[in-house]
Formats: sequence, C-alpha cells, structure tokens
Amino acid sequence: MNDMRIVRKDVDMNDTKISAKGVQVFYGDTHAIKDVDVEILDKTVTAFIGPSGCGKSTFLRCLNRMNDTIDICRVEGNILLDGEDIYDKRVDPVQLRAKVGMVFQRPNPFPKSIYDNIAYGPRIHGLAKNKADLDEIVEKALRRGAIWDEVKDRLDAPGTGLSGGQQQRLCIARAVATEPEVLLMDEPCSALDPIATLQVEELIDELRENFSVVIVTHSMQQAARVSQKTAFFHLGNLVEYGDTEQIFTNPKDERTESYITGRIG
Amino acid sequence: MPVLWLFILVLALGLIGFVLGRARALKDAQGDIRLLHSLPSYYGSNVLLATLIPGFAVLVLWLIVQPMVIHGQVAGMIPERGLTDYGSLNLAMSDVRRVADGLDIAVEQGALSAEQARDIRTEFTDIRGRLGEVGVALGSNVQPYVLQAAQTYRTMNATGHWLMTGAVLAAAIAGFAVAFLRTGKDLRARNSVERVILMLLLSAASIAILTTVGIVLSLIFNTIEFFKLYPATDFFFGTTWAPSFGGGSELGILPLFWGTFYVSLIALVVAVPIGLFAAVYLSEYAGPKVRAIAKPLLEVLAGIPTIVYGLFALLTVGPLLMSVFGDGGLGWMQGGRSVMTAGLVMGVMLIPFVSSLSDDIINAVPQAMRDGSLGLGATKSETVKQVVLPAALPGIVGAILLAASRAIGETMIVVLGAGAAAKLNMNPFEAMTTVTTRIVSQLTGDADFSSPEALVAFALGMTLFVITLGLNIVALVIVRKYREQYD
Repeated sequence: MNDMRIVRKDVDMNDTKISAKGVQVFYGDTHAIKDVDVEILDKTVTAFIGPSGCGKSTFLRCLNRMNDTIDICRVEGNILLDGEDIYDKRVDPVQLRAKVGMVFQRPNPFPKSIYDNIAYGPRIHGLAKNKADLDEIVEKALRRGAIWDEVKDRLDAPGTGLSGGQQQRLCIARAVATEPEVLLMDEPCSALDPIATLQVEELIDELRENFSVVIVTHSMQQAARVSQKTAFFHLGNLVEYGDTEQIFTNPKDERTESYITGRIG
Repeated sequence: MPVLWLFILVLALGLIGFVLGRARALKDAQGDIRLLHSLPSYYGSNVLLATLIPGFAVLVLWLIVQPMVIHGQVAGMIPERGLTDYGSLNLAMSDVRRVADGLDIAVEQGALSAEQARDIRTEFTDIRGRLGEVGVALGSNVQPYVLQAAQTYRTMNATGHWLMTGAVLAAAIAGFAVAFLRTGKDLRARNSVERVILMLLLSAASIAILTTVGIVLSLIFNTIEFFKLYPATDFFFGTTWAPSFGGGSELGILPLFWGTFYVSLIALVVAVPIGLFAAVYLSEYAGPKVRAIAKPLLEVLAGIPTIVYGLFALLTVGPLLMSVFGDGGLGWMQGGRSVMTAGLVMGVMLIPFVSSLSDDIINAVPQAMRDGSLGLGATKSETVKQVVLPAALPGIVGAILLAASRAIGETMIVVLGAGAAAKLNMNPFEAMTTVTTRIVSQLTGDADFSSPEALVAFALGMTLFVITLGLNIVALVIVRKYREQYD
C-alpha cells in the first residue's frame, strides 16, 4: 500500500505543551473517557485515532473546554496547558479557547464575507490596532491557510459561497488568525474530497512550524502522513501513545495492531 | 326524499360497494391475496369511491344549480311595476319564499291539504290569516302575483327534488356498477385510490386559495361601486374623516391610516425588543427545564382572545396611564383611551408572536455556527450578537413583518383602547382611531349598501388588505431566502 508509507519525520525534543493526567469524562451516566494520560508536545502534530465512539473527539473537546457547552457533560482529572490547570476556577474558558483554537469536522464558515470570517476572532480579542493592522492580520491568516491566492480578489464575497475544501481552509485560517498556541482539528478532512484533503494535509504540516496541532482522524493513512505522535483510543481508554512510526510499524498493544491492520474498528 | 336520507342512502350504497368489491377481487384471485395487484381493501375502497364521488358530486351541483334556475323562473312571474331596483326584486323574492315556506308548513301541519295549497287564491281566502294560524307571520297582505309565484316556486321545488333524487341515485349506481364490473385481480385499485386521495388533498389546498380570491373579488366590486360615488383622490388624500349618513360626508382615509400606523408602531416598539430578547433567552440561555415551562406559558398569551386584551386596556392600562400622564400628573392625556393605551396592550399581545417565531428561527441556526464562534474564543453573548442573530436576521425580519400585519389588522383592542375619534395628531396620548374600527362602525346598524358611507368600508378593507398582503409577501420572500441559506 503506497499510502501507508511512513515518511521519517524528525521529531525534535520538544517541550510538553499540554499534559493530561487521569482525565475522566461523563455524559450523564455514560463514562465516555476513562483515565486518560497524555503529553502533547509543542510544534508537533499529534493524531488521535480509533474506531467511532471511542472518545477521541470527546477528549479533543476537553482540551479547549468545548464540552462546557454541553450541559450533561462532566470532566474530572487534570489538564495542564503550559503547566496551568485549564479546569481551574480562575481560568476563563473563553480566554482558553483563544489560546487553543479549534477546527471542526464540517466546514462552518459564518454567513459573512470572507474578510469578516477571518477578522471575527481578531476583532473580538482586540488584536488589531486599526484597519490596516486588521487587513494585515487577515492577509497573513489567509496565506497561512493556503487560500490567499484563491480569495484575494473577492474578500467581500460570502464565505459560504466557497467550495467545501476552500471553506475548510478558510476555517483553518480563521482559527489561525487569533494566534492560538494549540490548534485542535476534529476530523477536518472527513467532508472533503481527496484533492482538498491533500491541500489541508499539506497545510497541517506547515502549521507545525508555529503551533502544536492535535488532529482527530478516521483515516490511518492520514494519521501516518501528517503526524509525528499518535494516540490510539479504544472504548474510552487510551490504549497506546507513542511516535507515529512506532505505532504504525511496531505497536506494543495487540488492540492497536488489530485496529491498524483492520481487524477491529 | 330529504337530502339527509339521500346522503345516507348513497353512503350505504358505497359501503355495500366496499364489501362487494373486496369480495369480488378476492374471489377473482381464488382467495390468495398474493395474486392481487393491490391489497383487498383497496378494491373495496375503489368501488366505494366510485359510488360516492359521482353521487355526491351530482347532489352538490344540483343543490347549487336548482335554486338559481327556480329563482330565474319565478322572478319572471313578478310584474315589472313596483320594482324600482335590484333591491326590491330581492325583497319580493323573499316574500315569495316566505309564502312558499308558509304553505309547506301549513300542509305539513294539516291546516291545508296539498290540493288546497296548490289551488288557493287570494281572492277567496285570507292567506295571511291562515298562515298566521300555523305560526308563519307575514308583514303585509299577500299580493295575488306573490301567491302565484309562491305556488309555482313550490311545485318547481318539489319536481326538482324528485329529479334530484333520481339523478343522484343514478349517478351513484352507475359509478358503483362500472367500478364493480372492472374489479378483478389485475385492476390497479391502489393507484386509482391514491389518485383520488391526491385529488382530495389538491382540492383542500385550492379551497384556501379560492377563498382568498373570493374575498378579494367581493371587496373589489364594492370598492369600485364606492369610487363611482366618491372621488378616489378625496378618499386617499383627504385629511378629514367625518361620515354622516345624511349625506355630505368627508371620507378621507389619512386620519384612519395615521391612527393604524401610529398604534401599530407603538405596538411593534413594545413587542419587537421584548419578544426578541425573550426568544434569545429561551433559545440560547434557558436550560431545558425553564424552556419547557416558559415557552408554553408565552404561547398561552397568544391564545387570549383580543377582546380580553381590549378589556385589559380599558380597565387597567388606560386608568394606569391616566394616573401618570393625565390631569393629575403630566396633563398630556384627556381620557383613558389613547393611542398609547392601545399600542401598549397590542404590543403585549404581539410578544408571543414575535418571540415564538424568532425562537424557532434562532434554533434553526446550525449548532456548527455557535461552535465555530465559541471555538475562536468568543463569549456566548458575542456569539449571539455577531453570529447567531445576523444569521437569523432575515427570518426575524420576516417574523416582525408578520407581527406588523397582525397589528394593522387588529380591531378589538383599538375599539376599547384607542377610542373613536379620527384625528391627525402627533400626541400618542390622544384618542385616535384606526381603519379596522371604522369599518366596523360603518357597517353596524342599518347600513344602506348603496350609500358611500357604507361602501367606504369596502374601500377601507381593500386598502388594508392590499397593505397587509404586501407585508406578508415581503415577509414570506425574506423567510424563504433565509431558508435557502442552510438547506
């Protein structure tokens, strides 16, 4: 399988960005995440893989407290961002989400112009001093989102009018515009065609220079292509976590091996 | 045969058709329903419908056409003299019907024999007295030509009735026979039954549309009649509303229009912010428990009859405003009835309307929009203000326009709350009046439908209809455009 090729990517000895210890998540009576420990490194792409319903998206949403918006959801354990507990009472989840950006499964541009979509975050957080400043931020974000050339002539056009792949890159650019430290991506390519997927994957690889990226994916090829670290979730447990190369070539746990070779999932 | 019996007879025939049709189809398939094209009950229904539809169609048509034909025939018997215009012909015809009905009752009660009723003559009998004995009171002595017409009317009615009975039964039996004979295992009974159901749905939909057309037509003819008697420019641009049934009225729509506009404006100023904020709270902030209680409670407000709101305006809000703005307070208000009173209460009436519609529209904004905004570090209120409301705005505008057209058409609150004085005045604490209340007052009492004072009501109604129709169309267009955005 050509797609399964493992490109040897250098994993620098990076600092830990997010450190989770003993995380438990409950949806009402359902125990969705069971005692997960994981260390997410800075300037690294970390992939969460696992069968549907294994809790990888739920865990991802814990990292920027998006689960707070769900009434019945309860999170226990410690999640430290740069050594600070993000579930501490003194932490404002809104501030946290500015630092830990998120890209969703389906592209969700606001029904506003392309410019306003990107400028949304910077405007809310007061990142621009004036209009020229804002223009610059928007251009930079669109360039980082690898979509600048396609939309530079129609920044006033509605973001909803773009194609699916363009919309998703717009959403990535939108998330990048607020200068987050960590970027969470929840199956960002599942609604895209292969070409758009490829563009987004290339983009993710570039984003690694500036951000710590966490990506949830169903596609093991994708995990192998874009990530340096991989975590395998199964039935709410973190089964195995390690270098992507090691997970895909020499998994320690037999469940991981079964999943990767397609026997469970 | 009375119509009710005829109806029941056709129905019974249809039911027999159902049983027989079903049985015939089953027999044709030797009792094995797998050989049938459709389920057995479809064959039954097919015969049932084939019996009922022609039968009832003939019945309904006959009931509509027969009175028209008889009316035409009998009207010809009434001599020209004494008929000044269309109205007195109607009067004479209703006399004829009354005498005919009286004779029917007399025969029924045995006061007259059937032959006597047919041969009776005014020259020899006191008809008025005889009919009075059986409880039919007549206004004046019966003219000979009226009696003759009434007798013709009776005979034609009786013949028509017999013919109708025959025709209806014939149509029903014919339908029955055709459908029954065609019934066999290969008949596509299911398809034809479904076609009938489709027709049923279609006709239900068209009734609503045809009614609207009918309403418009009835308004148009009277409006044209009005404009023949009263110049249109004076109506649309006149600033005085002073109808007097003695003649010489001034019928300018502007003071009424201003009253309508002013009351609606105040109502919307009250209802839109409150309704919208309530909707935002309910859809974005309220927990499921609060929502489950608050939303039905708000919608109960919509179920209160407007006359009750009117009483509330008259008894509570008016005196309350008087105590603040009246002579005891600021001195702006002369009486409890004012534009402000009606506007405030109408605003309360519209709150559930605005909030319920807006709530649905806000809920229709995809959760992904909210997630996207929250994921960028926006607070909940920033999300509502900058993403949810702009996305829902076209729908909300639609809701507000629908509320506005309700406000414009509202009558009872205005009658009780705003008074009856037609004025062009800026002071919201003055009593004013609206188009709808004037329509009511122009048509209540002894209205002479040939005078401009009564006909003006139709012109007012037509104007109001056009305005609200325009608002509704704009609202629907906006709402539809909004829907396309997410589907």
